[in-house]
Amino acid sequence: MSLELLLIVAFGGALLSYLFGKICPQIRDPFAVISSVALAVMMAFLYGKTMESPFYFGFLGLPLILRTNMLAWFFAMAISILGALSVIFSWDYVKDRERTDFYYLMLLLANASMLGIVFAGDFVSFFVFWEIMSWSTFLLISYNRGRALGAGMKYIIMSIVGSVSMLIGMLSLYAIYGTLHIATLSKLVPSASSGYLLFLFILFGIAFAIKNALMPLHTWLPDAYAESPTSFNGVLSGMLTRMGMYGFLLIIYVIVGAARALNLGPGIFKFNYILAWLGAITIVVSTFIALLQNDAKQLLGWSAIGQGGYMILGIAFGTSLGLAGGIFHTLNHAVYIVLLFMSVGAVQYRTGGQRDLDSLGGLIKRMPVSFIGALLGISGLIGIPLTNGFVSKWLIYKTLILEGHPFLAFAALIGTWGCILYCYKFVHHIFLGQLPEKYKMVARAPFSMQLPMIILSLVILLFGILPGIPLKVINTIGTSFGFQSLNVTTWGIASETGTLNTINIFAAVVAACVIVWLIFKAGPKAVPVAQEDTYAAGAAIPKDRYHYTVDFYNPLYRMISPYFKDFIGGFCIKLAGWTQNVCHGIRQMYTGYIGHYVMYIVLFLALLIFVQLKWSLW
Amino acid sequence: MVNPVLLIAVPLGLAFALPLFGLISKRIVKYIPVVAFIFNFALALRLIPDVLKQAIVVEIGGFPPPFGINLVAGPVGVLFSALIALAGLLVAVYALAYITEGPKEKYHMLYLLLLAGATGVVLTGDIFNLFVFFEILCISSYALVAYIGDRAGIESAIKYLIQGAVGSSFLLIGIGLLYGLFGTLNMADLAQQIESASSISVFVPMVLIITGLGVEAAIFPLNAWLPDAHSSAPSSISAILSGIAIEVGLYAVVRVLFTIFGATNMFMFFAFLGVLTLLIGEMCAFAQNNIKRMLAYSSIGQMGLIVFAMAIATSYALTGGLFQLVSHTLGKGLLFLTAGYMIYRSGSMEISAFEGMGKRMPLTSLAFTIGAFSLVGLPPFVGFPSKFLIVRAALAKEEILFTVLIGLVLLGTVIEGAYFFRVVQVLYFKKANGNSERKDAPVAGLIPMVVFVAFILVMGIYPQLVIEVLNSAASELLHRMEYIRSVLG
Repeated sequence: MSLELLLIVAFGGALLSYLFGKICPQIRDPFAVISSVALAVMMAFLYGKTMESPFYFGFLGLPLILRTNMLAWFFAMAISILGALSVIFSWDYVKDRERTDFYYLMLLLANASMLGIVFAGDFVSFFVFWEIMSWSTFLLISYNRGRALGAGMKYIIMSIVGSVSMLIGMLSLYAIYGTLHIATLSKLVPSASSGYLLFLFILFGIAFAIKNALMPLHTWLPDAYAESPTSFNGVLSGMLTRMGMYGFLLIIYVIVGAARALNLGPGIFKFNYILAWLGAITIVVSTFIALLQNDAKQLLGWSAIGQGGYMILGIAFGTSLGLAGGIFHTLNHAVYIVLLFMSVGAVQYRTGGQRDLDSLGGLIKRMPVSFIGALLGISGLIGIPLTNGFVSKWLIYKTLILEGHPFLAFAALIGTWGCILYCYKFVHHIFLGQLPEKYKMVARAPFSMQLPMIILSLVILLFGILPGIPLKVINTIGTSFGFQSLNVTTWGIASETGTLNTINIFAAVVAACVIVWLIFKAGPKAVPVAQEDTYAAGAAIPKDRYHYTVDFYNPLYRMISPYFKDFIGGFCIKLAGWTQNVCHGIRQMYTGYIGHYVMYIVLFLALLIFVQLKWSLW
Repeated sequence: MVNPVLLIAVPLGLAFALPLFGLISKRIVKYIPVVAFIFNFALALRLIPDVLKQAIVVEIGGFPPPFGINLVAGPVGVLFSALIALAGLLVAVYALAYITEGPKEKYHMLYLLLLAGATGVVLTGDIFNLFVFFEILCISSYALVAYIGDRAGIESAIKYLIQGAVGSSFLLIGIGLLYGLFGTLNMADLAQQIESASSISVFVPMVLIITGLGVEAAIFPLNAWLPDAHSSAPSSISAILSGIAIEVGLYAVVRVLFTIFGATNMFMFFAFLGVLTLLIGEMCAFAQNNIKRMLAYSSIGQMGLIVFAMAIATSYALTGGLFQLVSHTLGKGLLFLTAGYMIYRSGSMEISAFEGMGKRMPLTSLAFTIGAFSLVGLPPFVGFPSKFLIVRAALAKEEILFTVLIGLVLLGTVIEGAYFFRVVQVLYFKKANGNSERKDAPVAGLIPMVVFVAFILVMGIYPQLVIEVLNSAASELLHRMEYIRSVLG
């Protein structure tokens, strides 16, 4: 199966969905689902293949190349599966909205362009697909109107800044080496001077750090996540943001190579140390800011920024263990953040778009599948054993400790503690506590939303109990970067300091559950009582008055809110204001008075002649 | 062998014959520019293969250069003629339905004159002849800016006229000084003799000529007429002024600098000037709420980018700069044409009046979006390969200064993206208040938009289509000795 065919299916699916939407709307949704599922199936057949072929010669004499290897396949598989699930989830979610054809076109286009990015074998096609991804995402983020417009502008401006920086980087490669072919560059670039490599890292790093929302370049993310349609959040948060991770892997380990990339730079200001510290700062700061959020989607957005920091920490030290942790965490995070957003989306769908945590509550009985999804999602996010997040976080901690970075490990731990707090707040405010009167009649999520949630929940458990399945693939990626192979088995991973064996944990947990179940079985039978009875000890109280989810963590909030604001976000807003003022100021130069204009012309001429007479510059 | 002189003679002749056609039938008048530019475009395309082999030199009146006036149809000239004819044709089709009021006959006549003048500027090999054609171009555009006849139009036409006249006087003085020095007006002959004179006596006419031409080329700080003129002209004329007139001015600057004076030591200055023009243009555009002024300032920015590219003066850079000229004509032409009908429907030039246009005029809005994406330089549109070449050329210099300058240029791109995306959001993601009837531009308006979009897409995906012409045009500009040899033999 050729890669061209895959991309034709991906892009063709997007365009055809749009056309079908215009011609006969009934078959658009089935078609979109079928084409994206078919894509995922085709992708599965690509497993383990390595190939490379040019597909287009018409661009300025540069052949555009598609290639695949384990790294590309790994990301492509995740993109296509999560994409297909998001398309299924969208079925009911966007049904009654306007401009749904446009929505599907952009959703599938974003997916297709991500596949293009990971399969790109040269930087021109990489950049082209990257840009298509950027503008299609911009259009989708703006889809909800209102506040979404500001979020979209933030996103696209930062995106252009990133692209511009990447463009300079890649064209300087072209100017020096005369090629943009990634495989050729990976042979030539490692022999470049350190200064040049740093220059490359900074330019590409800006682009990828913006996409991966690494602080201080994260400011687009919270608003973009919060304001985009929740059905698109799956794609946006799962893999689109993590194209930055793919980019980092590409530039650090494929192009420059671990031998040169690590320890580049003077003294303690080594490139990968700085990267790791930025990751650590990202984790701590964004975790605390996430704690302060009362908007479900903002909370998940800040959480996603922090989790991106873990991935960076994993890959920054260039050990096989850390790399495996970083890449595995990218996958795991994608799985559970998509699940969490779907859970929020299902709640929003049934409650009329409500995402304010203080107004929700008690939906556990009304929407059990969404609750299970949210529960497993936060378990993964926290990293509870037997969920996937545990394994990757374990790998990352292990790396930090083995490499002798206790402070970084501590930062990662703080992140996890904070994560427990906001995750609990998240699941409690939506699903536990008291059910508000107006949501008494809320129905379960439709099947098209339940199905992807169930699948993702199972994946979380599967990767948590049998982490070897993805880790074997990730191990191959590591060895392809020239690292030594890890000792991976289906149910765990061995390292020089201790072995992780998830099957043992699984057995222990099962045993514990059985014992607890037996104890409860032996005890007296539980009597269900009304919720008010347990709270007010049977006394009559007005029902709507004791909803205690407002001002959750209030003392903590008071403690941290002065220090953990989004200062950089505020700065960016100010910067935009200043720019506007400067622009208005410069515009004043065009006074509208013709005398001034003629004076400009004469002065220009006089200046040129004066300079020449005085200094003979030319 | 077809004679390139027809490229000028046909529109010029038809312009003067147009009132006579008007006597026969008032209705056929508006089709005459269409016919003229179909002819011109076909002729220019027909000439391209010949010209790529060798430049065609036409001696007017049978006097060999340097004695008579001659036309030099090299790759540059024919490339520009084709571009002028293409834009002229599409805008003429657009004007069929768009120009419904006022003295229509005069509009079409001036339109033909403007583009005949522009074609003359790019084809002539004689510097005084260049001045003459330049005046034809400028004077007809002064008149066309005031076509609507409202206060703003007349005011900006007068301002344009005054600044243009100042520029033209400088140009004429410069040409006079050169004639006094060398006793010849032939550009190739001048180029040959220029080294024999002392540097300061050549420098003064050079800056006079450059300042004069720079007014039309919208180089900072000579460009103050542009935002007023472009925004008060009818949209069809704005498209031509932005897409053709200022580019022809820039062509003249480049031709004078590269071919006549070979002023390589001034390029660094022009690189700075280009970046400055770019940043000021983009920043002013960012501060605008009026769509046509925004587009006009954006043209200044684009001109700055092209000046910068030309000033790098390597073959890549010139190819990129010329490509950017092409992509600017296509993109900005499209934007002005689409904006024309959106203004017509909403009755206002304020961007906020375009809310919900995506629903009201879906095809026009889509065309606007594509034009905007292309100007920002997003793939797969034509703005991407042209910017790609320029950035590459700047980095290929491998000088820190150029790396910094290209960084500033791309900062301009970021600003450009910000204001264009803002408009796209207004078109699609704001609810129309009030009138939301769905009514697109008329067919005669849509056809040129679709053709522009097709060109933008095809050249964006397959830039090889034009790259050969651009390459040889770049080498014509870069190798002045060959130009001299091909003209003087």
